[in-house]
Amino acid sequence: MSMSKEKAAAHANEPAVLCCQRPKGTVISEADLEDPTIFVDLEDSGLLTIPEGSLTVGEVLGRKLAADTDALTAVQAAMLESGAPAADLGTAAAGPKSGIASAGAKREDVVIRSLTHKYYAVDDVSIGDSTSFASGRLTIDGSLAKKALASSLLVKKVEMDVIRPDGDRHIAINTIMDVMPVAVKRTGRMGEGETAVLDRVVFCLTGVDENGVQIHEFGSCDGYLDERVAFGRPGAPDSGDIIVRVNVVIAANTGMERRGPLAAHTACDVIVDAVRSVLKASGEAPSYTRGYRDVRRHGLPRVAIVKEIMGQGAMHDNILLPNEPAGVMGGQKNVDLGNVPVMLSANEVRDGGIHALTCIGPATKETTRHYFREPLVHALAEDDELDLVGVVFIGSPQVNDEKMYVSERLGAWIEALDLDGAIVTTEGFGNNHIDFAGNIAAIGSRGVPVVGVTYAGYQGQLVVGNEYMDAMVEINKDAKGFENEVLSCSSICPEDAERARLMLKAKMAGIPVAPAERRWSQGVIDANQKLAAGLTAGR
Amino acid sequence: MKLTTVTGLRSEIFVPITPPPVWTPLKKPLRECRIAFITAGGIHQKRQKPFNTAGDFSYREIPSSIPTSELMVTHGGFDNSDINKDVNAMFPLDRLRELRDEGFIGSLADTMYGFMGGGGNVEKFKEETGPAIAQSLKEQGVDIVVCTGGCGTCHRSAVVVERACEAAGMSTVIIAALPPIARQQGAPRISAPHVPIGSNAGEPNNKEMQTAILKDTLNLVVSMEHFGEMATLPYEYRHNV
Repeated sequence: MSMSKEKAAAHANEPAVLCCQRPKGTVISEADLEDPTIFVDLEDSGLLTIPEGSLTVGEVLGRKLAADTDALTAVQAAMLESGAPAADLGTAAAGPKSGIASAGAKREDVVIRSLTHKYYAVDDVSIGDSTSFASGRLTIDGSLAKKALASSLLVKKVEMDVIRPDGDRHIAINTIMDVMPVAVKRTGRMGEGETAVLDRVVFCLTGVDENGVQIHEFGSCDGYLDERVAFGRPGAPDSGDIIVRVNVVIAANTGMERRGPLAAHTACDVIVDAVRSVLKASGEAPSYTRGYRDVRRHGLPRVAIVKEIMGQGAMHDNILLPNEPAGVMGGQKNVDLGNVPVMLSANEVRDGGIHALTCIGPATKETTRHYFREPLVHALAEDDELDLVGVVFIGSPQVNDEKMYVSERLGAWIEALDLDGAIVTTEGFGNNHIDFAGNIAAIGSRGVPVVGVTYAGYQGQLVVGNEYMDAMVEINKDAKGFENEVLSCSSICPEDAERARLMLKAKMAGIPVAPAERRWSQGVIDANQKLAAGLTAGR
Repeated sequence: MKLTTVTGLRSEIFVPITPPPVWTPLKKPLRECRIAFITAGGIHQKRQKPFNTAGDFSYREIPSSIPTSELMVTHGGFDNSDINKDVNAMFPLDRLRELRDEGFIGSLADTMYGFMGGGGNVEKFKEETGPAIAQSLKEQGVDIVVCTGGCGTCHRSAVVVERACEAAGMSTVIIAALPPIARQQGAPRISAPHVPIGSNAGEPNNKEMQTAILKDTLNLVVSMEHFGEMATLPYEYRHNV
């Protein structure tokens, strides 16, 4: 199979291999060369060997063969007549560059809404007779566990304890179903006004069913806390955090049915909500504050983030816009909404607008805390070269026809929003990669530059693909590329967000992103990261 | 308007292309064929060791004479409630026996296979599991292998094993809840009813639907002429979880 001109240009730095036998005197063109994307298959089947020192596609185009040459031969300098110049394919060296995306409209920033997070440092947490918060000491009423138990007939037992950072973290845990911040609205709606947040403490929901079966789907992080959590990831506890563990036992055999995990999250929320109430009324002075703004940056490239969430029942659900930040009550369930795309502003996401039930394997799932600290949302919202119009949440349905339906609705939104670029992220892997590919195609086919962000690694390598998936960011952090069952290990980190942002800007500016290698390679990721780090340092 | 950019970025994730065709034409009428059913949907005997839901390339023998009440599912990739109600929703063994008894098909393989394809190690399935299952089925004189996936990566694993069977000289077909994955992974024949993952072979306890899906799928093995053909079946089941 020969190559097109475009393909040859894209693969200018790959080895040049003749696709068919060619006679002496042939002036090599792209039609004489094999497509480098199938080299691995050819090498695996013993049909091709590429010796050191083979010339690249860019180096051989326009050159003349010095002798008759067989098919599937990697071209060497000695096989060519000297003299003829190689075609110019514009193989520019890597390095920083400023591109102009397009002539823009008038620049003007309009602040749509402002949000203040007031953080209250927590020095100690204890279980006591009533719930209170004063002078950095949080006391949680132990009888709340009973109240939580009464929240659903499916909940059979609720236990609560405190795990301190300075104490022993080598303690046995059931699988972590979620990590949640404690935050409460003081004024305004979600995404605006004032929110009080407890600092240095998180709630961890763990659970089993009555038969002792862990409530998990694809892998479980039950084991020892210090071994099964990637501390410090956006979705995980930080190493200095106090952990309030709420362990829930639900009815036998309901762990893989939609109602079971939801009951566990609802029970836990009863306890968190009592803490929210005392935080809301607290007259303490905050330790520090952070401000977030939704800004319409008129005249700058309009971009959106599309975050794919799971929508197939069991733990595959997410609750949108609960009454209180990161809560359960009052929220809309993605599955019930039919998985259709729902738009949130960056501030709504950063104010706890998503409560995660999803659990497709601990390393690749996005917890409630992940959404609260989402690095990509933050990076794009704060980028003064972009106008982030919003964050679209779109579900991954169970039925293939519905997958196409929701992807097409996303496409219609993208078209109506008149976007200049988009980044699509997903969590987990497998069937949701159909949605991932479909969502990227829905955007790319409308001429909008798009970047995809996912865990693929080795175990989650893509099962489907299309031509629009040409700028992809890998978030795997496991050395062997597996879902390693370590909470939040392979989820989006600030560095991943940097590479995704850079790739999107490159695509929007018309700068080529080279095709992926045939196999997952940490070297490629590291090289991109180096380019991103160089830019950040140069600012 | 300025964008801070760099040259030299490379895409980090490979997007797959479909592997080369593999094809064994069917040479007999269905009523003379020996049929085997395999599933990547995590079905095994209750007395057998459950699969490791984080990824498992081992497989379990399922005798075609076993009562379906002695089968169960261990799979973490989808809602199990349909299979818990009726294992035929993933592994339609009762329906196969009925089709044999009425003479629609010739006979059933004595031993069929269940594996858990979710997150399956591609190399292991390609090098070990697929060839082992294919060899056993071939030795049992199987003509047609019908399979179901389960979740997304199950479809990948199912197709790897399906392709091994096709390469070993049996005609194969996958009943796919996720046809795009089956197609991209190089399934020789694809039958696509409108079903959710978790009830890939049809609605639980709906004998008519399960039978119809199975019959239509087997008829496709007769009628399909080219690698990668796909046919949508007119049966729809929505699982409202």
